[in-house]
Amino acid sequence: MLWVCIASPVQEKHALKALASWAGQFSSCVCLDAERWLLWLEIGSSLRYFGGLNVLLEKVAAGLNALALTATMGVAPTPEAAALLARQPQALPVLQLEHLQRAIATLPLTKLAMLPAAIAGLQASGLTSVGELLALPRDALARRWGLQVTHYLQRLLGERADPRKPYRAPQTYHRRFDFAEPAQTVEGLLFPLRRILYELQGYLRGRDAALQTLSVAFRHRDHADTALTLRTTDPQRDALRLFALLREKLERTQLPGAVMQIRLSVERFVALRDTQLHLWDEEQRQDAGWSELLDKLRARLGDQAVRRLGLRDDHRPEKAWCVQSDAAAADLPPAFPDRPLWLLSPRPIEQLPQLLGKPERIEAGWWSGEDSSRDYYIAQTAEGSRWWLYREAATARWFLQGIWA
Amino acid sequence: MPPPSPIPRPLPPSLQEIPGVWRGHELAPVKARSTGHRVLDALLPGGGWPIGALTELIPLIEGIGEVAVLQMALKRLCDEKRHIVFVHPPYIPYAPALLSAGLPLPRVLWIDAACDEDAHWAAEQTLREGAAGAVLLWSHAHADRPLRRLQLAAEAGQSLAFIYRPAVTLQHSSPAALRIALRPAPGALGVEVLKARGGRTGAVCLRVHSHV
Repeated sequence: MLWVCIASPVQEKHALKALASWAGQFSSCVCLDAERWLLWLEIGSSLRYFGGLNVLLEKVAAGLNALALTATMGVAPTPEAAALLARQPQALPVLQLEHLQRAIATLPLTKLAMLPAAIAGLQASGLTSVGELLALPRDALARRWGLQVTHYLQRLLGERADPRKPYRAPQTYHRRFDFAEPAQTVEGLLFPLRRILYELQGYLRGRDAALQTLSVAFRHRDHADTALTLRTTDPQRDALRLFALLREKLERTQLPGAVMQIRLSVERFVALRDTQLHLWDEEQRQDAGWSELLDKLRARLGDQAVRRLGLRDDHRPEKAWCVQSDAAAADLPPAFPDRPLWLLSPRPIEQLPQLLGKPERIEAGWWSGEDSSRDYYIAQTAEGSRWWLYREAATARWFLQGIWA
Repeated sequence: MPPPSPIPRPLPPSLQEIPGVWRGHELAPVKARSTGHRVLDALLPGGGWPIGALTELIPLIEGIGEVAVLQMALKRLCDEKRHIVFVHPPYIPYAPALLSAGLPLPRVLWIDAACDEDAHWAAEQTLREGAAGAVLLWSHAHADRPLRRLQLAAEAGQSLAFIYRPAVTLQHSSPAALRIALRPAPGALGVEVLKARGGRTGAVCLRVHSHV
């Protein structure tokens, strides 16, 4: 076993848990201590996957950096030794248990996780370093300072088992961020938003999952929440992509007042195969560019503005088509008689232009009470435009419904 | 407007014989896709609609085949599994007509922007990504700047880029690489090339409607 301990700079319970969820991308065993603000990652089993200790530690450091956190880390074969090294800037990683005692011998007593009274007492007896303490007979120490101290030292050195309950990341993701000072501008929201999206990215990597729907709510003091929902065409988990989409949406959103709190939640996840992330052939790459573009357009213009077209089985021209949110599988297209490119909502016309050819009789909808017996004509105006007209059989009135653009 | 001159005047033989002397429209090779109309291809630099450059289309009135003139090029893009994006069209693009024109509906995207600015933004993003085969934008912009931005986006993405502008913009200059006025002609569509980067001006008549 090999442990990385991160001395967490965040000192709120939910923030520490979010950090633990984020750390799931590096280790399947993450433990936390919400009293000492420590986070442990067992990395012995993930070293090979990440390509060695240095690469892994760099990734963890880069990840913390993206979260805008400055944290110290310690690496050791026991959790307590890793915690001890994490409190010592620039401490070298200790990989083997047999090197541990020598590596920590020179550290000051004050870094040990013992009660201040015990440390003060030991100092009063003239001890200053960890090495001097470890040299003392254990039973004497236990008599003077209690079993707690000796058990701690045994766990520190790996002489006593130190079972820990791994942190289980929740099945649905909820993260809230409270502002110390209400955020007055969109810019003020972006920084924490990006940070919590990076946490989410770590969580998604840990679960080997992605998302297609993300909800963000902004809490105001005197107004109802502003809620945004982001839907992506393809499963996503890249923090910066999600950030760009949310930012686009946010800049188009009117916030009624300053923001006290951000709540981000994801209820559903999509399993993501590695191939979906890494192996693209050219067509997939083009498709990926296309769905990225759709997401970007939807984020700014709204879902309703980005439209796919579909057909409906109805003879009435204005009901023979529909807007679809996503591209449906292409059915074999039915054969249509000549139809104009532009469809208009029928508008009455006074001056009848020159009619070309024979009429097309369209009768449909009588069963729904909308009797619409119509004779359709192609017509040419004096200026040279091609129109699609119909004469309503019941009223003999003429309407313009299409234009051949 | 200069009178149309569909055939370039031959150079004096002495000039043609000198190696290294290029005629204007041969100077910079223009990447293009066939319009599907032989006479129009012959007029346009590179032999078709320019790729990675902005084409400005100015119909004098609507309903004269101003979109139908693109149909064959758009159909070929769809055949190659590329997408066609209609940005801010003046009316509903009618699904049955698109299908009949050989544009499968999953290949067509209709962006209904709330304003001209959004429409330009959407067209610019789509062009820049190069994810679509062709972008058709209906614009009311009179200023130069939005067109310049589109021209740059078109260059970045290497798609076909068409902007439809109202006839009043004819009196302004334009940064588009290709500028074309479309006018009704008996049973046909009159296509007049007003400006062609790396090419020449001229006019042709095309038949774009099946019903004459």
